[in-house]
Amino acid sequence: MYFHIVLLMTEFDYLFRKYHRRLLLYTLKFVESESDALDIVQNVFVAIWENGKYKQKEELVQAYLFNSIRNGCLNYLKHQKIVQKFENETSIHLLEMEAVHYQSGEKSLIERENLKQINDAIDSLPDIYKEIIVLSRVEGLKNDEIATQLHLPIRTVETRVFRALSALREKISRKSFFILLFLRRLQ
Amino acid sequence: MKDKEYNESLIVRYLNGNCTPEEQAELKTWIEESKDTKSEYLSIKDIWDSINSPKESTAEQLALFYKNQYEKSKKSRIVWIRTFSAIAAILIIGLIFSVLVPTNTANPSESVQVFSVPMGSRSKVILADGSEVSLNSGSELKYSSGFSSQNRVVSLTGEAFFKVKTDKEHPFTVKTSDFDIKVTGTKFNVCSYADNKYSTATLEEGKISLQLKDNSSTLKVEPGEKFLLDRKTLIHSLDQADVESEIAWKDDQFIFKNIPYSELAKRLERWYDVKLNFSDQKLQNYAFTGKFKNQETIWQVLDALKLTSPIDYQKTTFREFTITYKPLKYK
Repeated sequence: MYFHIVLLMTEFDYLFRKYHRRLLLYTLKFVESESDALDIVQNVFVAIWENGKYKQKEELVQAYLFNSIRNGCLNYLKHQKIVQKFENETSIHLLEMEAVHYQSGEKSLIERENLKQINDAIDSLPDIYKEIIVLSRVEGLKNDEIATQLHLPIRTVETRVFRALSALREKISRKSFFILLFLRRLQ
Repeated sequence: MKDKEYNESLIVRYLNGNCTPEEQAELKTWIEESKDTKSEYLSIKDIWDSINSPKESTAEQLALFYKNQYEKSKKSRIVWIRTFSAIAAILIIGLIFSVLVPTNTANPSESVQVFSVPMGSRSKVILADGSEVSLNSGSELKYSSGFSSQNRVVSLTGEAFFKVKTDKEHPFTVKTSDFDIKVTGTKFNVCSYADNKYSTATLEEGKISLQLKDNSSTLKVEPGEKFLLDRKTLIHSLDQADVESEIAWKDDQFIFKNIPYSELAKRLERWYDVKLNFSDQKLQNYAFTGKFKNQETIWQVLDALKLTSPIDYQKTTFREFTITYKPLKYK
């Protein structure tokens, strides 16, 4: 629990409070270490503080923030590749592929502000899937730990996590589809 | 490549960080096989990433940001003073001021400043006139950018404790959806959540006058008194209050005396950002009394309640509990 004092609620505070968590979540897509991810996000906020970009229109700032984060992550991955040259090149390669994918204009769910949709989708999953996705993602348990806790073979856990993710993907895309239909009708 | 199920568990093992280097290489080959496999993998990973819940606190990160900026400006000040004359130093003081107070210069037009506190946390604001406002969970304080020691008007939803700087010439006004409160220099607590049955104002020190929204008459509240308004029937009363327990929240304490279960649940929900479901109407007949320091987790609070009152609880999903009625067994 924290207690913190702010002198004046500025535009900058507003942006920080609104985007910090989403940017961190987005950074954690590519950067495994949470403390490194926090550094990358802090640096992006230092940049908009110093170049005054935070005074611009919010859509512009939002686009700028996510672009900077992507570049920050790509640089970080490049650096990681040099540091761990022989260790874990495959996973870094995959992460780089992913970062490039989102750089080409594709938007991630986090960027599209669909986090609430995802929570709703998790709530509407059948219990066996919901249970497993909460254990694995929210509680942060490893597959073998879930297997022990639920007395299931590890392969079953892995398959169920995948099925849960697929079900979520379907639910979310169907929702987006309905939103699209609804928007069309409004026009 | 082996069967579909094998690929599925491979992706999950990779996302979970339990893949051997050989398995990783295998996965990479599969992903690069075609456009479809690549987008299949990326959409699964996107969902996976979106469910992540990092434990950091935004407010702490913001405080850290300001601390770093402050230290940076201190360092650069030393270098400048060494290299330039006193004139340069004066320039820097000007510069630091412009850094510390960016809204005044950056935003000359009237706009509304919103200070909102999410569920599960509390915060404190010091306004431009020197008044202090402690905000409880799930509250929002709004004021126009024209707020100054001459123009002291704020509006509030939720709960806040005000310590208003004395200025007899310029009264301080707090607007809520139910009433407006006018003061010159006092300490008082206002609770006006949109989803509460009652709105209250409790005075610790000084004097406040209170004006109901649909009524021209003004009420005077004396120290130690609590104004209570039923938001539906608009029936209101003025009683002696237990000020200590009303305002304990601002010192991170949680005191409740003889409050009904529904009230307790609502307060705990806001305080810990959780959802407490209950189905048994029997719980409505019990009044709860207790005192917690805020170091306790929601689990510890529920355990304590379980020991001392006829409830049991179960965690249903993330941040959600179901409370059931369970008679106490006496030995």
